[in-house]
Amino acid sequence: MAIKNSTPYSSRLGRYRPNGFLMTTVLAALCVALPICVVLGFLFVGESEAWSHLVETLLARYAWNSVLLSILVALGVIAIGVPAAWMISFYRFPGRDVLSWLLLLPLAYPAYILAYTYTGVLDYAGPVLTWMRSIDSPQWLMDPILNLKSLPGAALMLSLVLYPYVYLMARAAFLDQSANLMEAAYTLGQSRWAVFRRVVIPMARPAIAAGTLLALMETLADFGTVQFFGVQTFTTGIVRTYYGFGDTTGAAQLSSLLLGFVAILVVMERLSRHRVRYYSDRLRRLNQASQYVTGVRALLLQSLCLLPVLFGFLIPTALLVTWTAFYAELQSLWQLTLNSFALAGGSSLIIVTVALMVAYANRLHPSRWLSYLTVLVGLGYALPGVVIAIGVLIPFASFDHWLSAQLAFLGVPPTLWLSGSVFALVFAYLVRFLAVANGSIFSGLSRIRPSLDQSGRLLGLSQTGVLREIHVPLMRGSVLTAVLVCFVDILKELPATLMLRPFNFDTLAIKTYELAGEERLIDAAAPSLLIVLVGLLPVIWLNRSVSKE
Amino acid sequence: MDTESLVIRDVSLTYEQVPVIQNLSLALKPQELGCLLGPSGCGKSTLLRAIAGFQPLNSGEIWLDDHLLASPSHATPPESRGVGMVFQDIALFPHLSVAENIAFGLGDWPLETRQARVDELLHLIGLSGMESRYPHELSGGQQQRIALARAMAPKPKLLLLDEPFSGLDTELRGRLASEVRTILKSDGICSLLVTHDQREAFDFADRIAVIHEGHICQFDTPYQLYHEPHSPFVAHFVGPGEMVDAVVEGPRSVSSPLGVLSNDQDLAFAPGTPVNLFLRPDDLIHDDDSTYQATLVGKHFRGAHHLYEVRLDNGVVLGCFAPSHHNHAIGERIGVKLDVEHLVVFPAR
Repeated sequence: MAIKNSTPYSSRLGRYRPNGFLMTTVLAALCVALPICVVLGFLFVGESEAWSHLVETLLARYAWNSVLLSILVALGVIAIGVPAAWMISFYRFPGRDVLSWLLLLPLAYPAYILAYTYTGVLDYAGPVLTWMRSIDSPQWLMDPILNLKSLPGAALMLSLVLYPYVYLMARAAFLDQSANLMEAAYTLGQSRWAVFRRVVIPMARPAIAAGTLLALMETLADFGTVQFFGVQTFTTGIVRTYYGFGDTTGAAQLSSLLLGFVAILVVMERLSRHRVRYYSDRLRRLNQASQYVTGVRALLLQSLCLLPVLFGFLIPTALLVTWTAFYAELQSLWQLTLNSFALAGGSSLIIVTVALMVAYANRLHPSRWLSYLTVLVGLGYALPGVVIAIGVLIPFASFDHWLSAQLAFLGVPPTLWLSGSVFALVFAYLVRFLAVANGSIFSGLSRIRPSLDQSGRLLGLSQTGVLREIHVPLMRGSVLTAVLVCFVDILKELPATLMLRPFNFDTLAIKTYELAGEERLIDAAAPSLLIVLVGLLPVIWLNRSVSKE
Repeated sequence: MDTESLVIRDVSLTYEQVPVIQNLSLALKPQELGCLLGPSGCGKSTLLRAIAGFQPLNSGEIWLDDHLLASPSHATPPESRGVGMVFQDIALFPHLSVAENIAFGLGDWPLETRQARVDELLHLIGLSGMESRYPHELSGGQQQRIALARAMAPKPKLLLLDEPFSGLDTELRGRLASEVRTILKSDGICSLLVTHDQREAFDFADRIAVIHEGHICQFDTPYQLYHEPHSPFVAHFVGPGEMVDAVVEGPRSVSSPLGVLSNDQDLAFAPGTPVNLFLRPDDLIHDDDSTYQATLVGKHFRGAHHLYEVRLDNGVVLGCFAPSHHNHAIGERIGVKLDVEHLVVFPAR
């Protein structure tokens, strides 16, 4: 008995027999690798007929627009996120605590819903321009509003919903800096401005960069906004090449190029995160160093902090609520909501289960190759939905083709066994959002130190007892967070859902997209509002967990 | 009268609304290395932050080289005080190299003199050749010496050191405290160290102010603090020792359980007064020929000597140094005798 129990359970469970945790991790890594390999594989297939046409005419435009959009969004999110984080971190004023989490709310909006909403209220016949014409506003004031459906307009929409990434990272970096560093700079004769310029900003730079790069990944993955605003980027180009030209090879090759851009961002993001670790100093936090402000200066700070919330959340939400209240047909909404929630709920449960198994595989059987697999699994979040959809559609469609051919002699009619099924959708969601679930699950599990397991065993718990008595209660919060975040991300996901859904299977996001496509922007308000309201849950949750730390 | 560099006059401070320093006065001479020694929470760090300019004064004044730094109505901003500071958490800028850290406060110096100053300091702290390293590549002791060089670089009129060695391991701590003393003495900077570690204070300072509950109990050289403490608190705080009951015999002598003792200074008590006599382990020595016997109840082998704990016949347990080769067993009766140069007596409790 003594010998058996003295074996650490990590080595008892595995190595010698195939094991569910490890197998799942390998399978998950294969799932993520499949679309990447398929898409990259087409680089070696050679050029399609349309490809040369594409290279001559459209490729440069797609690349240029994607790059320009990225630059503008980068500038936008930094211009909004860094000053907001700075005001919240370095000043104390009435309402600061409320504003510090209000500033996160735009995260609940998918950029395309913001685009639809602003287009709805700002179009030529809309209330704003009608009023401006009635008071004879000068043309130069109305022109930018008329030109909202443009590349700068798309950049503005994306910046308004993506700045919270930068805000969050910058705020954490500012708060992480030891107050002593600033005081050290003062004792070395530096003025307040010099301290900000030479110490505070340089030290927060890696965190700001990481936040910006996350925003840029979302920008490159965006389809709804650029498609609606008629901006031709890689994502719209891929969809157009696949459906419009029917050119699988061309679409896959374009996807590979987009992947190249994404890969650069991923590498840069990893590097800046690496540096963030060196820069955080956890002794005495900055909080004590922030400055009390009252009166007019407090009012100024409050207004400046409120601006991004106003345009990124309050105004569009007020519009959506108004339109929903006055014009919504709620009957059709039930089926959509049911579809969306069932799809998002089912998928996120599957994804979180897989994430749990990957996390436990890493805990029970830590090894070098397993950690490589886990990194690969984590790359999914960087893959644009369009690329995943292409990478899933191509092999699934060929499988369907092959299976139909095999079954033809039985008289079975050609069927889309995989490519037009919910399975394809769940598969794509797994690839894209497993990393999101992993983040929460891994951090939850890492808080349960191995010494807790060991003392549990020494105090007489069995292996399952440890799981039941220690892990389940401690992991509950992390698992819930993971489910919630996945659920909302799936609810918002547009391009992959659009390309992979079964025929006539509509979700809230799809309906919103279709209604907007028919310029029925007011009718799109109800499903949009539902997406945003559900999207608020993880934002509030996120803020709670951030402020608890 | 000597000129004074740092003058603290009747200063009172509060920390988070709690008064921590009350009417404290202290003065340091130019080039003097001072130390604030006290248990944690005695307000010494708060006082240091007030000198640096991060803490407002409730009353009193702080002067440096005849300039008023702070009073309840005036506060020179920290960056204009000419005060350097070395922090407990070292606080090196992680995004700057060693040379950039040291040169941080030399922004307005001409490039060549700046370079020369950095080289000079790196040489002084014995880290020449490390200028392009980054803080995270260095050991704790190296980081602390660089933090010192960075604070010294702009030639401040006063250098403050806030428990700078507390993050380091014990052995390194003592060595670094003496090293820093040598460096600061060679540069002639007036300095003030804050610590709760008596050995660190002895290694570092010319004079030590023992602070307890917001007051200075005694401001003296390490030797005087150890051998002529003014209060039981100081006596106990700066080193081990025990009280034994005694009675004053004459103007310069007391009668103790270990015989009559005298010194060459008048006592502050009239003959016949019962007093407490404070004895350190080095006051009591082991001597096989002594007429006084005590029971050995504890022993700590220190290599070069033994630190014995012996129980006198009246039940009092005292520390006693014995030569390394006098290896007695616990429970043995051994001979002890007193070898006291200064009588440290306090009113009997």
